[in-house]
Amino acid sequence: MSDTRTSEMHVIAEAEQRGRTDLWPFWRRAYAQGDPLPKLTCAVNRPAYRFDEDEPLPEEYKTLLLRMLRHEGERAGNKSFLGLMASCLDLAETIFPTAEAKLLKAEYLAEELKHGIMFHRLAVGLDRSFALLDVPYAHYAFHLPRETWADDAMFHFFVDLNGAFHSRDWRESSYVPLQKMAATVERDELGHSEMGYYFLQQICADARGRALAQHLLGKWYPAALDMFGRSDSPNVPKFIQWGLKSVGNAEIRHAYKQYVDGKIAALGLEVPDERQNRRFL
Amino acid sequence: MSDIVEEIRSAYVAVGIRLDHPATYGTYYRLLCAGCGRMVGNVGDKLLPGMAAALVDQQFDLYAAGLVGCACGHQQERTRALDAGRWEAARQRYASAGGTA
Repeated sequence: MSDTRTSEMHVIAEAEQRGRTDLWPFWRRAYAQGDPLPKLTCAVNRPAYRFDEDEPLPEEYKTLLLRMLRHEGERAGNKSFLGLMASCLDLAETIFPTAEAKLLKAEYLAEELKHGIMFHRLAVGLDRSFALLDVPYAHYAFHLPRETWADDAMFHFFVDLNGAFHSRDWRESSYVPLQKMAATVERDELGHSEMGYYFLQQICADARGRALAQHLLGKWYPAALDMFGRSDSPNVPKFIQWGLKSVGNAEIRHAYKQYVDGKIAALGLEVPDERQNRRFL
Repeated sequence: MSDIVEEIRSAYVAVGIRLDHPATYGTYYRLLCAGCGRMVGNVGDKLLPGMAAALVDQQFDLYAAGLVGCACGHQQERTRALDAGRWEAARQRYASAGGTA
């Protein structure tokens, strides 16, 4: 990393430090009790590839890496990412339950925009034409209606957690720039999920809120499991072989499901049938 | 306008919610109360076919009980007009869950 870029990130880190409260960032409490996420271990014998910025990439490798980053989406130059963030702002401004919740959402947005800068740098180093490419989020989970604070809490709990699991996998990525930022992105995304969970704990504190959350699980739980894609996706073995992923869709979904099921039960809610309303098995 | 957006629009009209113009850079739409114009949520344009109608129908009871929808009560009125029996049952169920519907 150049001196200029190190200095830029130092300024951002300093700004983040000033934003710390008893609650924010939520990842602090989660990681203080040990590693909250399960290890994703590759069970396949594969070559130990390692590619850094500015190194020539094999064509298939670059295609797969770009495809993965298109799904990730958190780039400053991706209008659709900014549009999604604007939709979060809209909700924070209009249906926030407390001033504290509103401020937490502001911290969340700031942190996501930090990711926008980090992934922008990665995109420029990989393929300059990618840096300003608009890639709308394709998965329906990013488009589900959010009509209550409970919806928004579930969006963060489930969808940001999906990002944390993928980032966990990137800790072992063969693409060095991605591997370097993986721990930070994982930590932040886990924190965003914990923010959603914090809101859900408040919502579930009374019977009416619990009834609402139970109902809304029917919308968010299947979408969350669907986000990992089809278990028999033909491209997954290529991703694993090139060191861009460690495990298949079924394995990471299973690890995610075990994690969220425990958290759902701790809220006093019933875990929905995992096959109900699923679109991508 | 895409077929999916049209599906979303029709699904929400039934419960008294209007789809606004696309928000920043497209893709996402604000949901506005058809009674008073207040924003009640948002939705994206990449739902799967048939999903919008199913989601709104699944939320019928929540609109009826006032757990979802505008504070002005427009969605409660709309769901009552759509199916008074289901409306009453939903309100009783959520009232017994500790609510004040």
